[in-house]
Amino acid sequence: MTTTDAPGPATARLRWDADRIGNAIFAGVVFGLGVFALAGAFAIRVPAGAAIGPQVFPFAVAVILLGSGAALVVAALRGQVAPREEGEDIDPDATTDWWTILKLVALMVAVLLLLELLGWWMVAALLFGGVAWTLGAKRPWVAFLVGLVIGIGTQLLFGEGLGLFLPRGAAFDWWYGPGPLFG
Amino acid sequence: MDAVNSLMEGFATALQPEYLLFALLGVVIGTAVGVLPGIGPAMTVALLLPLTYSLSPTAAIITFAGIYYGGMYGGSTTSILLNTPGESASVITAIEGNKMAKLGRGAAALATAAIGSFIAGTIATALLTLFAPLLARFAVNLSPADFVALIVVAFITVGALLGSSPARGLASLGIGLLVGLIGTEATTGQARYTMGVLALSDGVSVVLVAVGLFAVGETLYVAARLRHGTVPVIPVTRGWRSWMTREDWKRSWKPWLRGTFIGFPIGTIPAGGADVATFLSYASEKKLSKNKEQFGRGAIEGVAGPEAANNAAAAGVLVPLLTLGLPTTATAAIIITAFQSYGIQPGPQLFQNQGDLVWALIASLYIGNVLLIVLNLPLAGLWVKVLQIPRPYLYAGILTFAVLGAYAVSFSTLDIVILLIVGALGYFMRRFGFPIAPLIVGLILGPMGEQQLRKALQLSQGNVADLVLHPFAASAYVLLAVFLVVGLWLKRRQSRYERALEASLAATEGHPQAAVDHLWEPGERPTDVRTESIRAELAAEKARTARGEPPRE
Repeated sequence: MTTTDAPGPATARLRWDADRIGNAIFAGVVFGLGVFALAGAFAIRVPAGAAIGPQVFPFAVAVILLGSGAALVVAALRGQVAPREEGEDIDPDATTDWWTILKLVALMVAVLLLLELLGWWMVAALLFGGVAWTLGAKRPWVAFLVGLVIGIGTQLLFGEGLGLFLPRGAAFDWWYGPGPLFG
Repeated sequence: MDAVNSLMEGFATALQPEYLLFALLGVVIGTAVGVLPGIGPAMTVALLLPLTYSLSPTAAIITFAGIYYGGMYGGSTTSILLNTPGESASVITAIEGNKMAKLGRGAAALATAAIGSFIAGTIATALLTLFAPLLARFAVNLSPADFVALIVVAFITVGALLGSSPARGLASLGIGLLVGLIGTEATTGQARYTMGVLALSDGVSVVLVAVGLFAVGETLYVAARLRHGTVPVIPVTRGWRSWMTREDWKRSWKPWLRGTFIGFPIGTIPAGGADVATFLSYASEKKLSKNKEQFGRGAIEGVAGPEAANNAAAAGVLVPLLTLGLPTTATAAIIITAFQSYGIQPGPQLFQNQGDLVWALIASLYIGNVLLIVLNLPLAGLWVKVLQIPRPYLYAGILTFAVLGAYAVSFSTLDIVILLIVGALGYFMRRFGFPIAPLIVGLILGPMGEQQLRKALQLSQGNVADLVLHPFAASAYVLLAVFLVVGLWLKRRQSRYERALEASLAATEGHPQAAVDHLWEPGERPTDVRTESIRAELAAEKARTARGEPPRE
């Protein structure tokens, strides 16, 4: 059997690929959360006379986080990384497309900035259409149209029907007028 | 007989047209989200939690139970019919159904999965009816120290046995516990871990965490590596009546029953959940089968047994949930939140104080099973259509409803910010192999654990030894050790078993190198060449030429 391209142990173990660095960083974040939990536990005031104060449980949580975080940092430094999660819709050969993630996050940030101005029905259309377009919908205008239908549908059902406070959009106040939409 | 009377009363409630409608709604939604990749019952129940504001407790709980059971049925359709090379082999039970479908026996696979789920679900619900009231009667006498022991058992087993390594599961649990600590502390009224943000003084809503982790985290994770193009669904023949031949029935009924009796007990103990149950069922079916050589190539027993075990385990999970208030899966944890939002605390008193509700719920499980088999057998074609929804639209819909659900928690855009942060956490947890379920369980069980711990220590006046000296608590800790050892051993066996199976599949398909890759880690493969051995070889070569010998071939 030819073995020229099989990675030997030396090269496979010592390379600092993105997987290992990422594992180490995230393990560090877990450890950092443990430090945060510990620091927070010291800040809790303890009433006199209580058999067990409100800081005992936080200390236990801090221990769990610090312990598992430290173990994971060590494991990552020694090159033990977990296999990444797979799924039905995931292309196993694809590499992470950060550009897509950035676009999705930007869309959600836009939603939270524009929600009160444009109203739920409008931002729902933007969000749905934008996400579908980003993920490669064949006809983006259909996606925006579907989004608009979903937006108006949920606005009418939840906002007007069930009485949830979904913003109708300050920008359109001149059109609806004040007061409830129906009745 | 008491239980039979109560159950009859439960049926009288659950069979009212209104509640039947909610059960139907639940199982339809549940099957749909089970079929669709990217959303599961946990997230769906979390998204629908705001319904509890406008529905009666019985209606809401019946709907959620329907979603829970429906999700189990729907998942099998996906694993059988979705033809995504490279992935399906990672789930051991998906192999057989998928292979059967490729051989043109998809209809038989769907039928044996659905009928097996029905039989297992019904038997397991009957076992739940029998055992839950007994256990609840026993559990009423448990002391806070005993509850601390139970909660510790749930924490450690869920943390250590889910996910790819115990450290990752415990880290996930710890994050959940930490998020659960955020907010105003009950006895002294001081804010913990709020970082001065006033909106956090009520704590972080379970809805935000669940929806953020499952919907936003999952969408970001899938979107980054989305499989483009049409969804490759394996076609099935029409006419469900002729789906299973006589031979299929003969080969299926024993695995159904065995799967049920493997799945139910495993579901009731917090030992890794349905995953372990399906693996054990698969392994035992392979061992007992007369058609061993068919396993890995589409053996019907390999679909019938594990699907039954999966559903029986789902019913088993409800036993500790209803009698002790202990959730051992993410969905169960979120159902507890639904109870809590009505001011109902699941626990030993549930059967006494909320008997009507519990019995209506149990009756609705029987009804849900019947509805599900009707929905799944003749309407399989419909679910195939659902499965084919173009992915850009599917994930756009998931994100849109996630934002709507998050905003509906308290109508503040700050919640959308939290949703994004939790979503980012969910993304990285998936990316680095951290399980999500321990986080949800920790988040919901953490505050209960702290309360019980403080109660227990107040009773014992600060004597920590009391926590382990109660007979029940002590035996719980011993059991914990047993669960951990057996569970970790089973997990090792499972991963080795799966590797061997994948390797044999790759070998039969004519990829010997892929088979080697599956069986050994890089660096441990017998085909690997070490740098030292190359150097030694080169040195020997040099020495030979120096001695004037002819170079070796």
